[in-house]
Amino acid sequence: MQLRQDRMTSLERIDALFNYQKPDRISVGAMSTGFNTKNAGFTVADAYEDPDKSFKAMMWTTQQYGWDPIPQYAGHTVLGAWDFGGEVRMPQGEYEGALVITSYPVKDEGDIDGLEMPDPKKAGRIPRAMRFSELQAAHDIPVFFFSRSPFTMAANISGIDQFLRWTMKKPEACEKLLRLSIDHIFNVLEYWVETFGPDMIFAWMSSPSESNQLISPGTLKKFALPYHAEYHKRLKKLGIKRFGLHVCGDQNLNLPLLAEASPWQHPSVLSFGHEVDIETAAEHFPKDIIYGNIEPAVIQTGTPEQVYELSRVAIEKGKKAPGGFILGPGCGLPVMAPPVNVWAMTKAANDFGWYD
Amino acid sequence: MVSEEKRTELLKKIHDSVVEFEEETSVKLCTEALNEGIDPYDAIMEGLAAGMETVGGLYEQKEYFVPELLLCSDAMYAGLDVLRPHVKVDKSVKTVGKIIMGVIEGDIHDIGKTLVKTMFEAAGWEIYDLGKDVKLEKFVEELKRTEADVVALSALMTTSMLAMPKVIGMLKAEVPEVIVMVGGAPLSLEIAKQYGADGYAKDAVAAVQEADRLFKKVA
Repeated sequence: MQLRQDRMTSLERIDALFNYQKPDRISVGAMSTGFNTKNAGFTVADAYEDPDKSFKAMMWTTQQYGWDPIPQYAGHTVLGAWDFGGEVRMPQGEYEGALVITSYPVKDEGDIDGLEMPDPKKAGRIPRAMRFSELQAAHDIPVFFFSRSPFTMAANISGIDQFLRWTMKKPEACEKLLRLSIDHIFNVLEYWVETFGPDMIFAWMSSPSESNQLISPGTLKKFALPYHAEYHKRLKKLGIKRFGLHVCGDQNLNLPLLAEASPWQHPSVLSFGHEVDIETAAEHFPKDIIYGNIEPAVIQTGTPEQVYELSRVAIEKGKKAPGGFILGPGCGLPVMAPPVNVWAMTKAANDFGWYD
Repeated sequence: MVSEEKRTELLKKIHDSVVEFEEETSVKLCTEALNEGIDPYDAIMEGLAAGMETVGGLYEQKEYFVPELLLCSDAMYAGLDVLRPHVKVDKSVKTVGKIIMGVIEGDIHDIGKTLVKTMFEAAGWEIYDLGKDVKLEKFVEELKRTEADVVALSALMTTSMLAMPKVIGMLKAEVPEVIVMVGGAPLSLEIAKQYGADGYAKDAVAAVQEADRLFKKVA
């Protein structure tokens, strides 16, 4: 097929979006940790374990599919269970696609007071994430800092079942874990700012444990939103201007509360799953850049024609988003996604995504 | 012998203790029911299980979410622990059907499966819970051992769901008439069909309804 010639570089396209200017065409991106390394002939574990291989895989995959750096990362910078002393192992075997927690640092409420703040330079996979960020900086692409939301991270320290029970029965235990989580995020963020300066950093957050498949808007309001507000106050104080939030899963019931609070600077990138319609997202967040929302399971199990059609529809809706639009999967790109299905998103952007 | 009025009141209280996720109250009331001579099987079905049915409705109406469901489940199991040892054998075997369930190999996310188990328990199924990260061969071995009617497979990850068509093939090769259901965030009815499953459910409440429908069709 004939691809039209881009009139902007990837960085110019992202700059245009962050300045409310129309880029040459719809931007395309993907959260693609394990897919990258598989695509480049490495293992899924390499995405988490080997920052050099992971970076190389990301760069080639990004070029192959014409993605822009929103976001470009390989795994989390900070993690709850691992950083706070739990046991985590690399993905292995035929069917694992992410890190596996084998032991949580908090097994019962009594463990919380014994938790120690993780070393912001050495805990978990922070050293590997730092190496990855150094490679990003060396290649003049934004340095991504990826955390879960404090609510999601706190649940990751104690195990989600226990944490959700505590939201009802032991809210003080939740608050303690939330405080530890947000303070840890910022201890590490300060290290990133000291190393790269705030202008280079693109902070990214995902919030899967806040989905309405798990919690009510009431629980979001009580336990999660206050920490979103604090996160952005502290982010601003550090001078970090670019931020993205992956609003993971079905968060339709949360949208009014998130829109009312919207504590982030505008525009920020807000990434949505297939459960949230692009038009709905744009109505709630007109000052932000909407990113999404092709269903990952369809990218993995469907046909290229299905992915192409879903992408066409998303682009048609996304072009009308007042804050701008980026096409991409609605969550992490499946590790085993057929390359033609991934390519179908790029083809749709080429065929329908131009602004002229 | 307990009066009909007292019996109805106590069973309603047991129901309410589950709905209001009062675990200690559930234990207290179930003990009281035994002391009053109420048939423990009736206390389970008309108290605890009826309570979980109400909870399922509240979940469908989006009044309850997973934290509430987990606590209601705790209250139900606490009551079951009191009553079950006293159920007469002839009534305890009066189950709807047998179901094997587990989170598939490569996946440790079991919160959905936990809730599915609770709802099947409340609906009177005999459950064989294999836990999480279950090797494919284990599902087949358990099917041979238990002669279950239904096998329910759960996955949260797009990588682990790839194991489903393989294990469905293995299960059907062993017992062609076995009913296989799948569920979990990345699954859909379309993918379930593509994978050769007999049924799909979007959540724990729907899973019981779907299993009942498929089981009645076969029976």
